[in-house]
Order: sequence, then structure tokens, then C-alpha cells
Amino acid sequence: MNSILSVSNLSKTYNNIYALNSLSFECNKGEIVSVVGSSGSGKSTLLKLIAGLEIPDNGKIVLKDKPINDESIFVKPEKRDCDIVFQDFSLFPNMTVDENIYFGKNAPNNKSMVGNLVSLANISDTLSRYPHQISGGQQQRVALVRALANNPSLLLMDEPLSHLDSALKEKVRSELLSILKKLDMTVLIVTHDAEDALTISDKTIVLNQGRLEQVDTPRNIYKYPKSEYVARLFGKTNILPLKLMPGSKHSFKQKSSDNKMVSVRPHQLIIESGTNSSLPKIKGQITNIFNNGHSYNVEAKCEDLVFMAEIKNGSDLKIGETVTFSIELD
Amino acid sequence: MVIFSISSFSSNWDHITETVLVTYSMNTVALVLGTIFFTLLFGVSSAWVVASYKFPGYKIFKWLLVLPLSIPTYIAAYAYFDILDVFNPFLIWVRSAIGFEAMQLTNNLLVYLLTALVMSSVLYPYVYLLARASFESQGSHFINVARSLGHSGRAVFWKIVLPLSRPAIVAGITLVAMETLSDYGAVKHFGVQTFTYGIFRTWLGMGDLTSALRLAVILMIFTLGILFIEKRIRAQSRFSYKSATSSFEKIKVGGKKSIFPLVVCSIPVVFGFMIPFFRMISWAWFSKNYIAEISVFQLASNTLLVAIIVSVSTVLLSILLGFSSKYFKSKIIYTSNRLASLGYSTPGAVIAMGALILVGYLSDTFNILLSGTLFLLFFAYIVRFLAVAYQPIESGFEKNCEDLNNASKTLGSSPMRSLYKLNLPLIKNTIIAAGLLVFVDATKELPLTLILRPFNFETLATATFDLSNQAQIIESSIPSLFIIFMTLIPIIYLNSRIGEER
Repeated sequence: MNSILSVSNLSKTYNNIYALNSLSFECNKGEIVSVVGSSGSGKSTLLKLIAGLEIPDNGKIVLKDKPINDESIFVKPEKRDCDIVFQDFSLFPNMTVDENIYFGKNAPNNKSMVGNLVSLANISDTLSRYPHQISGGQQQRVALVRALANNPSLLLMDEPLSHLDSALKEKVRSELLSILKKLDMTVLIVTHDAEDALTISDKTIVLNQGRLEQVDTPRNIYKYPKSEYVARLFGKTNILPLKLMPGSKHSFKQKSSDNKMVSVRPHQLIIESGTNSSLPKIKGQITNIFNNGHSYNVEAKCEDLVFMAEIKNGSDLKIGETVTFSIELD
Repeated sequence: MVIFSISSFSSNWDHITETVLVTYSMNTVALVLGTIFFTLLFGVSSAWVVASYKFPGYKIFKWLLVLPLSIPTYIAAYAYFDILDVFNPFLIWVRSAIGFEAMQLTNNLLVYLLTALVMSSVLYPYVYLLARASFESQGSHFINVARSLGHSGRAVFWKIVLPLSRPAIVAGITLVAMETLSDYGAVKHFGVQTFTYGIFRTWLGMGDLTSALRLAVILMIFTLGILFIEKRIRAQSRFSYKSATSSFEKIKVGGKKSIFPLVVCSIPVVFGFMIPFFRMISWAWFSKNYIAEISVFQLASNTLLVAIIVSVSTVLLSILLGFSSKYFKSKIIYTSNRLASLGYSTPGAVIAMGALILVGYLSDTFNILLSGTLFLLFFAYIVRFLAVAYQPIESGFEKNCEDLNNASKTLGSSPMRSLYKLNLPLIKNTIIAAGLLVFVDATKELPLTLILRPFNFETLATATFDLSNQAQIIESSIPSLFIIFMTLIPIIYLNSRIGEER
């Protein structure tokens, strides 16, 4: 695979506090890479550094084999072969959709490609309108086409779906993915939403307080998190001691207790009809039951340990009952 | 005014139309355009530099740049009374090298140019404040996106930043145009014969009220024309956008790169405030023995009395009008309020003439004598400055109180209780700011006061004008300085509030 973006030892501080601390990773051609982290983890700073909107304290950024940032080089944002799409889309309100799309320096030279993009994104009938006259989903697609029309080697997206309501979000997400994949675009997407990262990206980078916490495929990060922070960032989970399931190969050391722990998602806790299975088990007294329509979220307690299971057929369960849960490990 | 000016006879009118009407029109247009050009240059460049760069002293410049608001145009003109003398050697050279007519032409051009420059050196803060607020409200995303799409910082400024700020800048230059049309002191001093100059000359010099009124009507048409152009330009901006939630990221510059922003910010501050202010101080020092003779404290107390009474009554009236419009949601009240607030776009001299006709009518019909009273002066001031207080107070009610008033109504509160218990505490700061704005304008006001002041009643502004009119410009610095000090404190307070709100 050929690398489009290579970031090595990148650091940036604000008021002596690290926003990014010695970050290194690579993006390959055609790859959609998501950068996930809680707020203040440094993900937006990373995007600004790559776009040239901020100057790093240390480190090197190479875009398409050309250094754009190191100790002696700083390429201006307008000279970098990457375009950015912000979460508020930042469509120029004084220009029509058409003018917005052709605003990019290279766009007027790529007329046939832009025409294809416009029909691919299904925004042909919005071209003469102003940004405030089109829907949120259309605005998102216009912002995407505007960036792509400039024919960049790398597309940077800052929380591209966070401005959309949940009904629209799913639709736009699948449209976005289909456009980007058809164009074989290399994309770096910053998001705080683990679901976006899981559904869109080929590779996920997890940041915590400016440091790289984990890089892997979204599936592996979800299933085998390397820290409690990563586990919790990617949805509801139970952090259970490794000794309960010695067969697990994916444990991590919990910072607060120094014990080896395993992330077990609620759906991995099941109630078996037979008692002879070889699966590891945990016995707990049910303290609460929530019906969420398609299943039951069962909260249980085993000594000091509180955990949550998602049980499909839980209508017979009762609060106060003691139940043995089996842990399904992959 | 229109009816009176058309129906009355004037022996001088034909003479005026044949001799000076075209001159008045051309001079007025030339001066307004010149002043707009220089205010745009000073106001937009300094606003952009302060909004987008972090250079040594940028925080100080942010409020220094507002200070020229404390200097009325006529004081600026007196501070630069000898500016034309600087060009004498040049004019002599033109006369000897080219000829007498060329010198006259150059001299005339210089007069326009310098009057426009002097006026814009103190009027640019209107553009600066509105442009700065507009730049800062855009956030950085538009600029960042445009740069990542391959455009240089300069191209982004012309293609994105400036067009987005056009409505705010147009609003700023409209205010500047109104102030220029309204000015009497500066144009009189430099001898630029504009409409306002003509109104005074015709009425006070020729004793012809009807012709003065006709000129006032033409001036009003000019003003309405500017308002119409403003509306058209703003209507062309068919876009709308919400203020950015992210802040405007400033670019840090130091060393040699900070020279450009420092120069851009220093020029207007030096010419619009430092030079006039320190000249006034030094002149006042020379003529300090004169303080008792012109009873400056009496003048100051008169000015304070007028400014306080006018600002309090304007604010009270604005609260009443704004609240009734929002609380009762009546279209009639809303429309009449809009009409009432047109006063600010009407030049002071025109309002004064209108007030004189009104008191003439009241005197003829009801035998009520109001001319030459303080009551008439206050009335005219309120008409002139109502919009200054009404607009912020109305928008304060609109932003803060609409839903709360509905809640208050359903809880059984009377309108007065809603106003007293809910609305007033919520918009307290806006009310104070509105009052201070009127206070500043009323302290500086000249043409209206010159026409309507009661006999023997002088304000700092009229005393400044009278003294300089009698060639006592050095002595006029004493009341001038009082005006500057009286308006400086509210201006600094108001500017700091703009920063806090942001």
C-alpha cells in the first residue's frame, strides 16, 4: 500500500498543555481513517495541523511523499494538497451552490469531474440556490463536493455528521461513504461519535489527552480495546476482571486498580438454558431491569461489581433474583 | 415643512436656485463621497487588523481606535484649523509654475480633500465598530476553508470576508454619510458650502425662513436617497448566516511583521484623537486665564443638564414604546415607532426648522408660545435622538423578553408588573448603554442647538462654535476639552461592554 499521509512525532502545546503529544500514524491511498476521542483529546488540533491552519511545536507531516511540515518547512494552507470540510459545512453564504463548488483554485480546471461529482451527490437542482435555501443534508453534500472538486489527494473532515439530526444522519452517512468509496478517496475524519467511526472507516485512531491510545480496524477496537478509555468510548461495556475469564487473550491493565481487566459488551453476557457449557460464568443478583423494546437491559451485582447484560428473552426475570450469566468470548 | 415651504413666498429662492443650489448639491455629494472613502479606508483596515492579528498592543488599540468618537467634527476641524497652511508652499509653486487658475483649482481640491479627511478621522469609528463586530462574528471557518481550497489570505479577504461584512459596513458608512450631511461646524470652518451650510446662511444671514426650509426639504431628500441606496445595497445581499459559534482565531505576528498592523492602527488614532486632543490640551493651557471669562463651568452644567434630561426622557420614551410594541404586538404601534425613529437620519438643522414651523403653528392657532424655550430644545433633541435609544432597547426586549412576557401573562401579571419586575431588570445594561449613547450624541450636538437654543442659553458646543467663529480658536479649546472629557468616559464604558458581550 502506498502512503498518502505520514505523521511522525507530532506535538502541539497550548499554554504549556499538550494538545498533541508525539503522535505518529499513516494513511494509505483510498483509506478512510477516523480519529476518535473525547473532547479535548486533540483530534481537531490534529486536523488543523495537517491543513496548515496551526503550526506544530515538533514533528513531521508528509503528504504524498512531500514534507509539508518539519523543523525547517511550513507549507501554507493554500499550497497543501488537502481540503477540509468543517462540521458546520462553512458554505460561503454570499455565493450560490454553484459558485461555492467552483470556488476551489483547481475546480474550474476540473469541469467534467465536477459535473460527475454534482450528479453523484445528487445536488444538480440546487446549483442556483444559496446555502440557506437548501436542506442540511444537501448542505453537507455541497460542502463535500466543493472540497472534492478541488481534486485534493487527502480530504480532511471535522465532525462531518454532528450537525445533522439522527434521522438524516444515517442516510447522509451511507451517501457519504458511497461517494468516497466510488472516488477511492483518502480521507481523515475526526469524530467524537464511535458509531460514525465504526460504520465509515477502514482504520481508527483513538486519541486520549493528545496521546495515541490505539490504532486498529474499527472492529478490532470495538472488540479488543487496549484500555478502559477505549472500551468505554466505543459504547456500553462491563470492565470485568481477567480472572473471571482466564481464556481471554485481550486484557488490559486498569489504571485505577492495576488489575488486568477485560471489556465485555452487554450482549456478550447471556443466560444459558443448559448449565454444562464451557463458557466462563458470573453469578449476580438482579438490581434493575429496563425494557428497551427489542431486549432487556439487566443490571446485576456480584459482590462490589455492578454489570449490565443485554438479554433478548428477559421477560421472566425479576428484580432480586440471582442469575448465572455466561460470558461469550470471541 | 414641505407644505409650508411650497405654499410660502420667497423672494430669494430664484436667486438661490440660479447661483448656489448646484454648488450646494455638488459640494454635498463630493464631501459625502470623500468622507465615505476615507472612513472606509481607516475603519475597515483598522477593524480587519484588530480582528485578525495579535500584534504588540492590539488590545490597547481595540479601544484606542474608538476614542475619536468623543471628538465632534467641528472640534476636529478647529484642531486642524491651520492644516491648509501646510500646503501654502505647494500652492505658491503651482501658481508660479502653472498659473493662478491652476492654484485656485488645486486649493479648492485641497479644501474638499482635507475637510473629508478631517471629518473621516473622527467619524471612522462608526465603520470600525460595525466592521470589527462583523469580522469577529464570522468565525474562522470560512477563512480556513477558503485557504484550504487554495486561495491566499489576501484573496480570501476580498472574496469572502469583505462581501460577508458588506451589510455591516454599509450600515456604518450610512451613519457617516448622515453625520456628514448634518455637520455645520466643520464645513463652515473650511468654507465648504453644503446644504446645511446653505440652510444657516439663508436663514440666519439672509433672514429667509422659506428658502431655508426649501433647502432643508432638499437635504431631507438627499438623506432619504442615502437611506434608499443603503436599503437597496443591503437587499442585494441575499444571503444570511448565523454568527459563528467558534471564535475568530487571530494570527500572531511579531518583529518586523507587526509594523504593518501597528501603522494601520496608529494612523487613525494619531490623526483622529491624539493630535486634536493634545492640541486642545496645549491650547487650553495657553488660555487657562480665559476659563473664568467664558464661564466654562456654567456651560458644562448647561450641557450636562440638556444631555441628562434628553437621555433620561429618550430612554423612558423608548422603554414605553418598545415595551408596548412587543407586549401588545400591535402593528400600528410598531409602524408608528418605526416612523418616530426616523429622526436620527434627519439632519439636526432640518429637525430644528421643522420644530420652528410646529411652534409657529401652535402659536398662531392656540396662542401657545414655545419658541426660544428649553422645552422646544428638549423636544427637538428627543426627536433627533429617539432612534439611538429606541433601537437597542427594542432589540433588548425582543431578544430577552418575548417568551418570558407570555409566561408572565399566563401567570396573571399586569403589563406594568411584567415591565417592572421582569423586563427592566433583564435589559438593565442595554438601557444604561442606550442612555449613554444619547448622552454622548446630545453633548456633541451643534446645529440643532444653534437654531433652537433659548436666548442667552449656551452649551459647550455652541460656545466652542461661537468662539472659533470669532477667530478665538485657541480659546475654544477649553469648552472643546470639556466636551471630549464628558464623552470619553461613556465611550470607554460602551466599548468595554461590546468586548464583554462578545
